[in-house]
Amino acid sequence: MNSAAGNNAAQAKGRILVVDDDPNAVEILSRMLGREGYTCVSASSGASGLDALKSELVDVILLDVMMPEMDGLEVCERLRADEKLRRIPVILLTAKDDMETRSRGMALGVSEYLTKPINRRELFTRIDAQLHARAIDRQLSKTAEAVADPSKKSS
Amino acid sequence: MRLQWPGPPVSFLTHFWRAMEPFLVKGTHPVMEKILNICQRVAVTDSTVLVAGESGTGKELIARFIHAHSRRSSNPFIAVNCGAIPPDLLESEMFGHERGAFTGAVGSRMGLFQLANGGTIFLDEIGEMTAALQVKLLRVLQEREIRPVGADRTIKVDVRVIAASNRDLATEVEKGRFREDLFYRLQVIPITVPPLRERRSDIPILVQHFLDKHNQQRPGQLVRIAEDAMVHLWEYDWPGNVRELENLIERMVILSEDGTIRVDSLPPNIRSFISDKKIPRPTLTDEGIDLNQAVEEFEYRLIDEALRRTKGNKQAAARLLGLKRTTLVAKLRRKGTGSAQGYVI
Repeated sequence: MNSAAGNNAAQAKGRILVVDDDPNAVEILSRMLGREGYTCVSASSGASGLDALKSELVDVILLDVMMPEMDGLEVCERLRADEKLRRIPVILLTAKDDMETRSRGMALGVSEYLTKPINRRELFTRIDAQLHARAIDRQLSKTAEAVADPSKKSS
Repeated sequence: MRLQWPGPPVSFLTHFWRAMEPFLVKGTHPVMEKILNICQRVAVTDSTVLVAGESGTGKELIARFIHAHSRRSSNPFIAVNCGAIPPDLLESEMFGHERGAFTGAVGSRMGLFQLANGGTIFLDEIGEMTAALQVKLLRVLQEREIRPVGADRTIKVDVRVIAASNRDLATEVEKGRFREDLFYRLQVIPITVPPLRERRSDIPILVQHFLDKHNQQRPGQLVRIAEDAMVHLWEYDWPGNVRELENLIERMVILSEDGTIRVDSLPPNIRSFISDKKIPRPTLTDEGIDLNQAVEEFEYRLIDEALRRTKGNKQAAARLLGLKRTTLVAKLRRKGTGSAQGYVI
């Protein structure tokens, strides 16, 4: 686990958990996300990724599909089964562009799907789309509170 | 003789219920659950609501849902598209006019606010309203009374206002195009609907819902969707959001010959969908750009996407791009593969 990358960014755009068994990929993604202003947390296996989520609050999970022991799809299944974690958007990363993986990802409620090689622009746009939805979600929570509490309502 | 009544108003409500279902009830995305929850709670109040969201996300349905669940439900629901009515006419449409108020005003006429009395008025594309009309609307919201064009009297109205915009009104306020006081007056209850591409997990649910709905409307063969076609729909960015999705499914159900929607039967723009994000949208900055390099990058992205869609089949990729296979191969050789900038791992 390392959460150093991105700490120097003036304003954090969001916390991203990168889960990939390839240390090179983790290194490149972390550095790139950090430079772009995201705060990055990483894990080198599905199990350690799930472990990290016990203590870390993240906005988006970048999840590699092809990993030994617990693959990305299994991680997704476990996330979906966890009441606390099931709402975190998952972006699947994979070199495997086969229909089966995509179809299973879709069935598991994956938010996005990116095929390696990953394009920077596309990666950032997809992350930002999920962060935008999270921001809307937070705003709606505030609205919901205001509606529930009549004293906060002005008209 | 009695005229044939098309059906009790209940069916009208049922229709809205059904229409709302895919957006709110059936949606599994946490955001949609929250929106439904807010709508239900806000329906019983008279608060002004501001619904934001791209076109096709179902802003009017949200307004209708709130109206249908309010104590006003037996009174009118009137929808006004402020962007579709010429600015000169909008005021008299909304507030009515007196006889002789302007050329052509041969009689006096009731405005939509009056027609909506006791009910709800839905002001869509409120960002299109002129500054002059914004002031008048603000007055209406504050005083709960309207003044018809050319009238020297005001009329009390009891109307719940639900406004909507596909532009970000906060930005419009910053740019001085929308009155700040009106914005805050409208934004008592803000509801933002995210575009479909930001809640992709709802796409398969919506597809199934619209399939069921349109299958029901045309008895006969039941149209199903093939798994891989569903994946294509899931990956598409849906710039026209839920409306675009429903239109497509309806068309697919009508056009289906063998009862199955397959990848081949999807429109070409979805079948070989090239995400906006993959294609750089070059901007000409003050420093200028290198046109050749920009064109090359654009070309590379399209080629790359075509190859990805065809799983590396150069013949098929060339066909997608309207190129000869040899031309494509030559372009690939010139660029080298995978070395283009922008690709990371």
